[in-house]
Amino acid sequence: MLEYILRRFLISIPLLLGISMVAFAIIQLPPGDFATAYQQYLINQANMSPQEAEKAANEYRKIYGLDQPVPIQYLRWIKGIVTEGKFGYSFAYKQDVAQLIAERLPRTLFLALAAHSISTLVGIVIGIYSATHKYSLGDTFATVFAFIGTAAPRFFLAIVIVYYLVIQVKYPYVNRFVSPQYAFAPMSWEKFLDILKYSWPVIAIAGFGGVARNMRVMRANLLDVLNSQYVTTARSKGVRESLVIYKHAVPNALHPIIMYQGTVLPYMLQGELEAAIVLNMPSLAPMFYSSLVNQDIYVSGGFLFIYSVLLVVGNLIADIMLSVLDPRIRLGQ
Amino acid sequence: MTEQTSLREQRQIQLEEHESYFNLVWRKFRKSRVAIAGGLIVLALAVLAIFSSFFSPYDPVKLNMRSGYTPPSRIHFTDVNGTFYGRPFVYQWKQVVDENMYMHWVEDTGTLYFVNFFVQGWEYKWLGLFPTRLHLYGVAEPGTIYILGTDKFGRDIFGRMCLAGRISLAMSLFGTFISVAVGSVLGVVSGYYGGRFDNYLQRFVEFVQSFPQLPLWMALAAVIPSTWDQMAVFIAMSTIFALLSWTLLAREIRGKVMAMRETDFVLAAREMGASDMRIIFYHLYPNTLSHTIVVLTLTIPSIILAESFLSFLGIGIQEPLVSWGVMMREAQTIQTLGFNQWIIAPVLFILLAVLGFNFLGDGLRDAADPYTIT
Repeated sequence: MLEYILRRFLISIPLLLGISMVAFAIIQLPPGDFATAYQQYLINQANMSPQEAEKAANEYRKIYGLDQPVPIQYLRWIKGIVTEGKFGYSFAYKQDVAQLIAERLPRTLFLALAAHSISTLVGIVIGIYSATHKYSLGDTFATVFAFIGTAAPRFFLAIVIVYYLVIQVKYPYVNRFVSPQYAFAPMSWEKFLDILKYSWPVIAIAGFGGVARNMRVMRANLLDVLNSQYVTTARSKGVRESLVIYKHAVPNALHPIIMYQGTVLPYMLQGELEAAIVLNMPSLAPMFYSSLVNQDIYVSGGFLFIYSVLLVVGNLIADIMLSVLDPRIRLGQ
Repeated sequence: MTEQTSLREQRQIQLEEHESYFNLVWRKFRKSRVAIAGGLIVLALAVLAIFSSFFSPYDPVKLNMRSGYTPPSRIHFTDVNGTFYGRPFVYQWKQVVDENMYMHWVEDTGTLYFVNFFVQGWEYKWLGLFPTRLHLYGVAEPGTIYILGTDKFGRDIFGRMCLAGRISLAMSLFGTFISVAVGSVLGVVSGYYGGRFDNYLQRFVEFVQSFPQLPLWMALAAVIPSTWDQMAVFIAMSTIFALLSWTLLAREIRGKVMAMRETDFVLAAREMGASDMRIIFYHLYPNTLSHTIVVLTLTIPSIILAESFLSFLGIGIQEPLVSWGVMMREAQTIQTLGFNQWIIAPVLFILLAVLGFNFLGDGLRDAADPYTIT
């Protein structure tokens, strides 16, 4: 068991290294760098002559190592991450990207995990209901709901929620993660409730698609299991129907849900990404988006890398959980 | 000689008795009402997109600032006095200022304009070939009809939605096509040859799959220089979407080919001296087609959704190209949306397209294997 976990863990190291290379390569692709933008800024706003501005930009490049060849820049970047925990300098925010990540990553994680757990729970419950009430009104309703949940663009749902909250009910809790008076307060029950006031729309939007997915998987599985012979046997022995469903059928129908946990996490992260950008919730997402637009390369690269790490770690946890539940997986290796 | 003819006759009989795979699939597919509905939705959207000029009463690219943000025309059958007309008509919208100096849109009930069908309007080229002026509907000048309102520049939103369908649908189809081509070739080769190549390829697939899809797409789309010409942007975007989508298909096809590699019919073909190419393309690949088609119909909606989101953010397709996501860009500012809710209308086509392809895919998945009796 321990060996299996260790091996999975070791495999993910070269994986992450490869990902970091690709992330760095992508952010280097566009022509020009932040110093070019800085140069333009100096010419337009500070009334510098083009020559002076170019000189200033070159000095800027020298300070931040932008004049070095790309492989050297990459090595510096990765060395900073590994040895000092530094993700490079954000030109737009004037601080190390690691600080930005440290500030915002917990929020993204909170949002994604909240959406994840709620969608799993709600999805399973609705799935059980639909499967046991097949073709009833509730089941039809749930199926329609599931189709809309997977088909509606999440940014559209976010727009609708923003429109409703801001224009219709004049809801004051938007655009922030927590009210100013709690910003530096230690975590408490009141602060948590305050955070929820701001973050429920993002959680709801990110979770909506997940509910639909889990519900469909759960319904299909449970219907399959309910058709199997041991369920018929249990019924014919006279076991109570609720016992048949919750003790015999549901645990076996849950397996695929657990198996897909690893793939649901990226789905949640993407949902969080879309919703948070539209709702301007200060998590990783809007900053990632603005850094892409501003070519703040270390922010884009660092965030892209962090998103990949979350994905790899999520898959790792899902694999380990599955191997704990299902001995066939670790023995088969 | 007689022996030969009788052989031919036998073959004839065999051919007649044998129902083709596609016939069987079609027969099963036909039974699923949802799948048929999905197919019809997709077909309708495609028709609207291809003949978009016919369906838009006004030139969807021409700016007309004076009628910016006009609300959708209301279709009436009875006028303000309660008189019933046998045919639909519209009133014009006009802006009035109320006592608080707020602008309001009200209907000018002075003149009514009947909706005419198959009218002459702006000139366009039918299928890009024959110049014509024929349009499905319209009203007499100086009246205007905008069934879904107009955007900031006074362009008919419905007409633009039809036009945008060209890019949105073509891009998702093109992206899916690339990913299917790459995925099936790599899947078949990897499954058929196995060994070291297979091992490397599978590690590579795992590597690609560990990238976060949406953030990577965003990062790549943001890299496309805005100076590129429209065609280049279109191809680059499709390729970006294909870049991460091929892995699923490659895996599935590999599994299928691996299972089939040792079956009798492949072994027989090999014993008879068939080349690898022949075995792959003649014997193995056709058997994975059903899978491919199903994955295809399920990849398209995911690309439509991603494309609309990127374009909505302004890092995907850019004007003057127009896609459903581009049209929704204006809804980003909540004030604009607050006053002009109709600008969100393109989401209707996104929803329909995604639902249509999902239904179609579900139906095809059930029909792709017509030999099992359920």
